[in-house]
Amino acid sequence: MLNVEGLVKKFGNFRALDGADISVKEGKILGLAGPNGSGKTTFINVVSGVYKPNGGKIFFNGKSIYKLEPHTIVHLGLNRTFQVPKPLSGLTVEQNVKVAAVYGSKEGNVKDKINSALNSVELDNVKHKEASSLTSAQQKLLGLARALATNPKMLLIDEIAAGLNQHELKRIADMLIKLNKFGITMIVVEHLMSFLDILTDDVVVMNAGVNLFRGSIKEASMNEEVVEVFLGR
Amino acid sequence: MLKKRIGSFGIILIIALIFIFLPFVYNNQSFLFNMMLYIALAEGLNIIYGFTGYLPFGYVGFFGAGAYSASLAILFLHFPPLLSIFIGGAGAFLVGIILMPLLKLSGAYFAIANLAASQALYYIVANPNLESITHGPYGISLASIYNPHASYYTMLAVLVLSMIIVLFIRTSNFGLSLLAIKEDHITASLAGVNVAKARAIAWGLSAFVAGLSGACFAWYVSVFYPGTVFSLNISVIVIVFALFGGIGTIAGPLVGALILYSFYNFIGISAPEYFQLLYGILIIVLVLFLPDGITSILQKRKIYVP
Ligand SMILES: Nc1ncnc2c1ncn2[C@@H]1O[C@H](COP(=O)(O)OP(=O)(O)O)[C@@H](O)[C@H]1O
Ligand SMILES: [Mg+2]
Repeated sequence: MLNVEGLVKKFGNFRALDGADISVKEGKILGLAGPNGSGKTTFINVVSGVYKPNGGKIFFNGKSIYKLEPHTIVHLGLNRTFQVPKPLSGLTVEQNVKVAAVYGSKEGNVKDKINSALNSVELDNVKHKEASSLTSAQQKLLGLARALATNPKMLLIDEIAAGLNQHELKRIADMLIKLNKFGITMIVVEHLMSFLDILTDDVVVMNAGVNLFRGSIKEASMNEEVVEVFLGR
Repeated sequence: MLKKRIGSFGIILIIALIFIFLPFVYNNQSFLFNMMLYIALAEGLNIIYGFTGYLPFGYVGFFGAGAYSASLAILFLHFPPLLSIFIGGAGAFLVGIILMPLLKLSGAYFAIANLAASQALYYIVANPNLESITHGPYGISLASIYNPHASYYTMLAVLVLSMIIVLFIRTSNFGLSLLAIKEDHITASLAGVNVAKARAIAWGLSAFVAGLSGACFAWYVSVFYPGTVFSLNISVIVIVFALFGGIGTIAGPLVGALILYSFYNFIGISAPEYFQLLYGILIIVLVLFLPDGITSILQKRKIYVP
């Protein structure tokens, strides 16, 4: 469903992505792990059109989305969430989702899309609150709700579980599994292997802007290179 | 949503009725004309500044472009006045399209570039080499079609149109998308909003309103110079009026223009030396205590301001 080859993103002379190859098949969840600064967020930013790439190929459903605008990519059915939430602060939770329901996809009834998105992330009870008044964890879920309201076929999820306790982790993991069962393909970026372990058995480990390893979490934990980049030196 | 629309329509209707009937009981027509002009301009500025956050210091450029496009349509093409007023709006809209790349700039850079653009336009129009077309620095005379009555009511129509555009933006999904862009344009684009297109539409509408207003002004006064219709004072006054009332609503710019222009007219003309002082104090007080304008007093109490 998503095929990325040799993706390069430079900030000045620094190559945050240095030829990353990552692909996911329709209906799957791929875990994306790697130490801080390895380029996971940059990967999502480039694929979703927020940053323009400096080289490589990006195909979504067989169509090149390389250098397309974010809204065009969203309309093709690919959306993402943010590691650091970016809510429409002055708008209510419901209005946040409404923008996405109206502009994200022509299919479906706007009211239904808003309700089902808020329902999926369990934010219905705060829908009249201003987005700025939510906790950071709730704002991440709001970001997920906005993405869901655009009727995505695929989601790129960036560290949605960071800073949550064990119980909340489980709740979010169940939420993602449910969405996946409804047919949404996912790349889930996560620092915590234990969280990825609940979701999938297929993980890519990145380091220094390239994919270093692909396989199961168990294999990853036995791979010398992976252990080295995670433990450092 | 429907209730809010009806409430806003009520305000527009009241304003329209006031300006229809006031000339019969109050004989200072030029004050009434200018009041309508400034409300319309403050609403027009509100479209771009209140809903997208771009502060157009060169807003007067659209006003001047409107005044000149309409005048040239009258003088050279012999178009009837109403059609020429529309040409004024279209001329300003065209200038808006030409200046569209400015929307790529942010904050102060946009404001300064827009200011420079409006002055560039002024120098083009006032250039003696273009005398055969624009009459250069000698200005325009539309004495042959002078009609204070008809131009007054045309201005009223433009005023109503400007408020209806703001009403539409305020209560439509399009307006919601503009607010989303103003909050965070990346989040808005990931909600599927075509950010560049939405900004361009707001920019074009805003320019169109200023152009229509400039054209009505040209018709109403019928004699003017480039410096009259490209005066930076107009930009500043309109920005102050809109900010004073509060942007992002229909009522804010309306209230701001009503209060400040009355104030200017009754104190500024009879006692200009006190006026400057009072005006300065008023603006300082506003910036310090009510940065979101007077209507924000109501909004802070969760009262809906149309
Ligand atoms: N906008 C940016 N400008 C400059 N450098 C950036 C920018 N975004 C990310 N980087 C750099 O790119 C590298 C990868 O960052 P990031 O993709 O956020 O890593 P990760 O998400 O894996 O922790 C880091 O060294 C980071 O400092
Ligand atoms: Mg990251």
